[in-house]
Amino acid sequence: MSFLYPIGLLGLIGIPILIIIYIIKSKYTEQTVASTYLWRLSEKFLKRRKPLDKVTGIISLILQILAVTLISLALAHPIITLPDSATEYCFILDASGSMNIEGSGGNTRFENAKAEMLSRIDDAVDGSVYSLIYVGGDTRIVFEKTSDKQQAKTLINELTPSYHEETYSDAIGIAQGYFDKNPGAKTYLITDKVYASKKNIEIINVSGAVDNFAVSDVTYTLLGGKLTVLGNVTSYESGANLTVALYLDGAQTPVVSGMIVAEAAIPTPFQLTYPADGFSSIKIKIQQEDAFPADDEVIIYNAESEQSYKTLLVSDRPFFFNSVLSAVTNARVDVISTEDYTGDKNGYGLYIFDCYEPKELPVDGAVWLVNPSGSVPESGFSVQGQLELNGAQLLELTDSSSALAAELTSGVEGKDIYISKYMKCGMYRTFTTILSYQSNPILFAGTNSHGNREVVFAFDLHDSNMPLLMDFVVLMKNLIGYSFPEVIEDVSYYVGEELMVNVVTNCESVRVDSPSGEVSYLDMSDGVCEHQLDEVGTYNITLMVGGSPRQFSVYSEVPMAERAPSALADDMSLQGEATASGLDGEFDPLIILLVCLIVIFAADWMVYCYEKYQLR
Amino acid sequence: MSYFVIDEKFLQQLEALQMLVKNNVAGLFGGVHKSKNFGSSCEFADYRDYVPGDDITKIDWNAYARFEKLYQKLYLDERQMHTRIYIDASRSMNFGKGGKAEQAIKLAAAIAYLSINEMDKVSVYVIKDKQIHTVINGMVGKDAYINSIGELNSVEFDGDSYVSDAIIPSNVGYGDGMSVIISDFLTDNDYENGINHLCDKKRDVLCIQVLSREELNPQIRGKMHLFDSESADKFYRKNITRDIARAYKDALEYTINRIKNTCAARGAAYLNVTAEDDLGDIFFAKLIDMEVMK
Repeated sequence: MSFLYPIGLLGLIGIPILIIIYIIKSKYTEQTVASTYLWRLSEKFLKRRKPLDKVTGIISLILQILAVTLISLALAHPIITLPDSATEYCFILDASGSMNIEGSGGNTRFENAKAEMLSRIDDAVDGSVYSLIYVGGDTRIVFEKTSDKQQAKTLINELTPSYHEETYSDAIGIAQGYFDKNPGAKTYLITDKVYASKKNIEIINVSGAVDNFAVSDVTYTLLGGKLTVLGNVTSYESGANLTVALYLDGAQTPVVSGMIVAEAAIPTPFQLTYPADGFSSIKIKIQQEDAFPADDEVIIYNAESEQSYKTLLVSDRPFFFNSVLSAVTNARVDVISTEDYTGDKNGYGLYIFDCYEPKELPVDGAVWLVNPSGSVPESGFSVQGQLELNGAQLLELTDSSSALAAELTSGVEGKDIYISKYMKCGMYRTFTTILSYQSNPILFAGTNSHGNREVVFAFDLHDSNMPLLMDFVVLMKNLIGYSFPEVIEDVSYYVGEELMVNVVTNCESVRVDSPSGEVSYLDMSDGVCEHQLDEVGTYNITLMVGGSPRQFSVYSEVPMAERAPSALADDMSLQGEATASGLDGEFDPLIILLVCLIVIFAADWMVYCYEKYQLR
Repeated sequence: MSYFVIDEKFLQQLEALQMLVKNNVAGLFGGVHKSKNFGSSCEFADYRDYVPGDDITKIDWNAYARFEKLYQKLYLDERQMHTRIYIDASRSMNFGKGGKAEQAIKLAAAIAYLSINEMDKVSVYVIKDKQIHTVINGMVGKDAYINSIGELNSVEFDGDSYVSDAIIPSNVGYGDGMSVIISDFLTDNDYENGINHLCDKKRDVLCIQVLSREELNPQIRGKMHLFDSESADKFYRKNITRDIARAYKDALEYTINRIKNTCAARGAAYLNVTAEDDLGDIFFAKLIDMEVMK
């Protein structure tokens, strides 16, 4: 036995003091009565005294000595060591998506898992140590070999499940390390999955037979004013009759599927059609309630609807560009003449200067310079003068293997593009040439001194047959794609995947709002932002470009593997042989001491009352 | 020290009572109590042969006609009684708020008035230690009563009392009336011999035990060191539990039975009163029930 605060034993000094006080202080009350005759005579009539009565007079003293002793012991806070009675516990907590499924008692499986751990910690002998490995999103050690029950329980209560699909290799590695050091350690895996075999790990299964329906594999087509949505529904526990509803742009449509007879754990297809010319979002939702609502709906956002571009076209003859922009993008194009352009325009994603050279390049968007007659400051190239060719001359399409060249020439044949005159340009920044004439760059792309993407047409479209070719449309689409890189490449993800956000020109910040309202600002230093999706639901991405927000939405679904209530998985074993050796346990008798103290105080009070008021 | 106030109305009520004496009284003067001698009362007692010189008015002529012999009719004599009242004047009778002394004085005064009312002689004594002190001696008549009864207020209750040792050596008279002992009888000392002595002297004896409420039902509990008011040598130091309280009750009952049995054995009357009892109840109920009064 040891004492946490041995100085508390100084309280035992109170015992001799108490005895001295007891001896010195007479507790008999003196009183004069008319006659003591009857009192003295009463001795003859007193029944034979019980042996215990002999100590009646000092019961109070005995109780008070006991009280002082117990108080001193309580202050010293003794800890009794119990050899080999304690255990090292290692908990591996499955915090994957399926642990969000409602289990028994109205709680989620995760809550039940926490209750299992708390119960074991409560029942454990003091002196036991606890480690918790949390497997959810990432594998981390929540606490390691702590003997503080309260702290461990507090940390457990703060845990929340993820929606990730998990693997246990890291957790098993950590647990193996604990087991190697102490083969007597007990390792628990609290999960809702069933494993083929196990060794040295006790698996606590918190799954239950509950209904879980899920919608998956949702795709759509939008043709001829008709929206067609395809997908699958699955009932994982048992067969069920399900219906799904279609929501368009957040509002429920009258379209509801017929009864879908879904067999157990077999995806069953469905199809919904609805007249629509466009949409911002489609939501498919199963109308029957189940134990895991997170996988009952899927939302698909229309990426193109979000990727709208504002374009300023400065041209006196804007027909070709205006037509092709309207054809290949949903861009809003503002057209002004060269005379009206004063250089104070801003707020556009793309500026096209057709046969016009601005005195200063815009700083807040991509720039196309078409047939510039002179050099433009900060543009990265100089114009050396116009060269008139001898008739129409064939341009050469670049054969560069660079990624940018491949992106810009994707789908372009480039066989029959002719020009009759062009501006000879000299590049002093790095540009990627797309079309050239006798090694002179005719169409090239790169970035200007402002960091904005820049495309230079060193010829007038009216001096070329390009607008008449199919290549023109394809080339324009590639150039627009280059000028307006897609911010979001995909709008549907699974939890655990990385959201990729392309940082557009002049982007000031990238903000991500999670479904739970958590706000993150992404690092834009690499040009591409990455953000791991940890929640189920809609993530809103907001890019601040030139002071204006551009918003996108993506939907994050529950991983397919986490939708099943339980699944067979691999072997779950720790290598080595377990032993029965335990740790030295501790028994804290403080509560018992306090209870005894209360009892003694109560007894002393009763003795006092007995002596004072003769309650007996 | 003033112990009591004579209630005139109560004294008038007492006049309706008459003391009953079992033994024939052998008083010197005529009175209202029967004597063992023949006298001149109206109550016929016996016949005897006529002797010349007898009062011829008391010859029974009817008997002469039947037996042709003269018989003289004899009548009972009635004598004056000497009532002797002994008051225990130990300190225990007047300690605290018990009121036993006051009750004892009132009883003595009331009994004295009863006797005075019947033309008896009354003497009042107090017992202190082993001696008797006369407070009122041979009081006869209401005037004497009114003049003397105030002497009772001068009685001081102090010290111990030894009833037998005090009474036996004193002049208690012989067959001339009633002796009344008023005491709490809470003593180790002998009082039985005193009572026996009085009875041997052919006196009617009335023992009145006066106890206070505190003595009848003590509320003392816990660790107590009790000192006796009469003697510093007598004390009681104990944790007074319910067991002891029960034993106290038994001791009280024993004490009461002791005096009661002593009185019963010698044909003496015994009356137990508390200090708070009403005199009217004592005289008009208890004493009448005991046939000490009528």
